[in-house]
Amino acid sequence: MSAGPITTRASLLTRLRVMSAIAVRMMLHDRLKSIGTLVGVVFATLLANQQAGTFMGLLEKNTMLVANTRADVWIVPRTLPTLQQAAPMSISVLHRAQVTPGVAWAEPLAFGGASLKVPGGGTEQLTVVGTRLPRGAGGPWNIVRGSINDLREPGALFFENAERVKYGGMNLRSQRELNGRTVHAVGFTWGLIPFGPAYAFAEYDTARDLLGLDRDQTNFVLVGAQPGQSPEQLRDALRARLPDAQVLTSREFESKIRRYLLTQTAIGVSFGTSTLFGLLVGFVIVALTMFSSVIDNLREFGTLKAIGATNWDLAIILLVQSVLFALSGTLLGLALVSRIAEGIRSANLALILPPWLYLGTFAVMTLMCISASSLALIRVRRVEPGMVFR
Amino acid sequence: MNDSLAIDARAITKTYGAGALAFTALKGVDFVVNRGEFVMLVGPSGSGKTTLLSILGCVLTPSSGSLSLFGRDVIAAGERRLPDLRLANIGFIFQGHNLVASLSAIENIELLLELRGRSRKQSRIEAMELLSAVGLADKFDRRPSDLSGGQRQRVAIARALAASPPLILADEPTASLDASSGLAITELLRRLATERGHTVVVVTHDNRIYHLADRIVRIEDGLIQGGETTDQTRTQRAQP
Ligand SMILES: Nc1ncnc2c1ncn2[C@@H]1O[C@H](COP(=O)(O)OP(=O)(O)OP(=O)(O)O)[C@@H](O)[C@H]1O
Ligand SMILES: [Mg+2]
Repeated sequence: MSAGPITTRASLLTRLRVMSAIAVRMMLHDRLKSIGTLVGVVFATLLANQQAGTFMGLLEKNTMLVANTRADVWIVPRTLPTLQQAAPMSISVLHRAQVTPGVAWAEPLAFGGASLKVPGGGTEQLTVVGTRLPRGAGGPWNIVRGSINDLREPGALFFENAERVKYGGMNLRSQRELNGRTVHAVGFTWGLIPFGPAYAFAEYDTARDLLGLDRDQTNFVLVGAQPGQSPEQLRDALRARLPDAQVLTSREFESKIRRYLLTQTAIGVSFGTSTLFGLLVGFVIVALTMFSSVIDNLREFGTLKAIGATNWDLAIILLVQSVLFALSGTLLGLALVSRIAEGIRSANLALILPPWLYLGTFAVMTLMCISASSLALIRVRRVEPGMVFR
Repeated sequence: MNDSLAIDARAITKTYGAGALAFTALKGVDFVVNRGEFVMLVGPSGSGKTTLLSILGCVLTPSSGSLSLFGRDVIAAGERRLPDLRLANIGFIFQGHNLVASLSAIENIELLLELRGRSRKQSRIEAMELLSAVGLADKFDRRPSDLSGGQRQRVAIARALAASPPLILADEPTASLDASSGLAITELLRRLATERGHTVVVVTHDNRIYHLADRIVRIEDGLIQGGETTDQTRTQRAQP
């Protein structure tokens, strides 16, 4: 009896399983190379997330005032490009807003730079925010000491706790000269340092006085909606009455600020570039290590081809390896980066890593690894099965 | 075309390279092997043995000529069908063992069984049987690096026989072994091939194993030598 041709074949699923198993075995076998590839992914994850997280932190710093005020709608000067470029507008906007249907409350907000005389000499810049009591819709928040009600005292302000040394060893009740007037500290906030001078909070009238804002002017108007009114409905109602001002929901204002930073400043480009650079470095490391591991195993790939594995089978091996490298490297990298984020968190700097960034990292790293493996794939496709006889 | 033939290769030529660098390694080779035959292909270095074996193994396409394996025209099948033809027909034994280094002995065999459609469970059973047949049942979970050269070559034989492909091709399977294990390995291959009805072509330099062949074919400078024609062979070898 002589044997005849074998007519049965592995199903697609079996091929997938068998090739995946080989992929994993090869990874574990070439431990050093695998670690090299993993380092590439971890490195890219770290670098990209550090950059992206810093960038997100920066965006957050710029929008935190808007995000933390308890207003549904902001009324801002018609041509205002972003928060920091506050300019006076007529107080009549406030009065018209107050009588608009759907409005629960409307209050003015003063906003502007001021310079503080440091006792030891020199001056420090800060950003004064004038908020109307008792609501205090414009802040302060993140209070570490003091009570908002004390802002009713003439010349009373809340300062940034992290800047107390800079302000000349400031304590509760410390007196300072701010824009030529004598003021004193009644409380402190933590971490309210935007991308620029730290915030200091005063009652609206105190702030208006400090900033030299006329009685018939204000910088912003904050509006709260009546129950059942959506911010969008309120915005539309206000827009109809205030054609000479810009009316935005808080969310819209936040994204306007973000858009400004991204399009009108170099921040976006510079962080984008360094994030891409991180990905590129990772890509190169992964591509090179996977390629060199294929070169090391060329004979095995040739053997697999000779005994009947197709290019597709070998592609599965590389694909599975890429995905596994991506997943494990991202996991490691993210664990590291979140520890780093915790470690470096300060009033000045916060790495913000939202959940979508974590998920996005998995996706981006998987794409990165798969595309990086294409170099190896090209080589594997070109392997001649006949080489095994050489 | 004869269906009783395992290998029917006619007027095979192979030219490597092109232009001034072109080198013709096979110059019109007829090579016919009956089903169940154990043939040794011998000849000096550079005579074209590996080239011919590669063509028979469907890992190299000839420049001209025709090739049928078990009545199936290989050339007409086209390049894309070759991996499947190999899977269907051929078990390979290489000069080096060429086992997958990261897989254990039994996994190297299971790999082929599974590619050839055996279930996972069945693969394990058959792989173990094959390992027993080559005397390595107790070493089933060893990596190739933990086996001796002779043991690796036994695993390679077991892998070549996995799921019983009709044709076994071996290129100098004893080259990296000492004389006694080389003989033992070839005896093992011969015995298993006869028991299981495999057709075998072995390329070898090793005249100490010649006696194990049904027939020895000599190739020199790209041409088959000697007056031994395929018709003579066929009458000479009675069907078992
Ligand atoms: N890929 C190739 N490109 C060019 N020439 C080749 C190639 N492969 C083999 N040759 C040449 O073809 C001839 C036959 O080679 P082949 O490997 O078939 O010989 P062989 O009989 O197996 O020799 P050995 O006993 O040394 O293994 C040799 O001269 C060799 O140099
Ligand atoms: Mg050779």
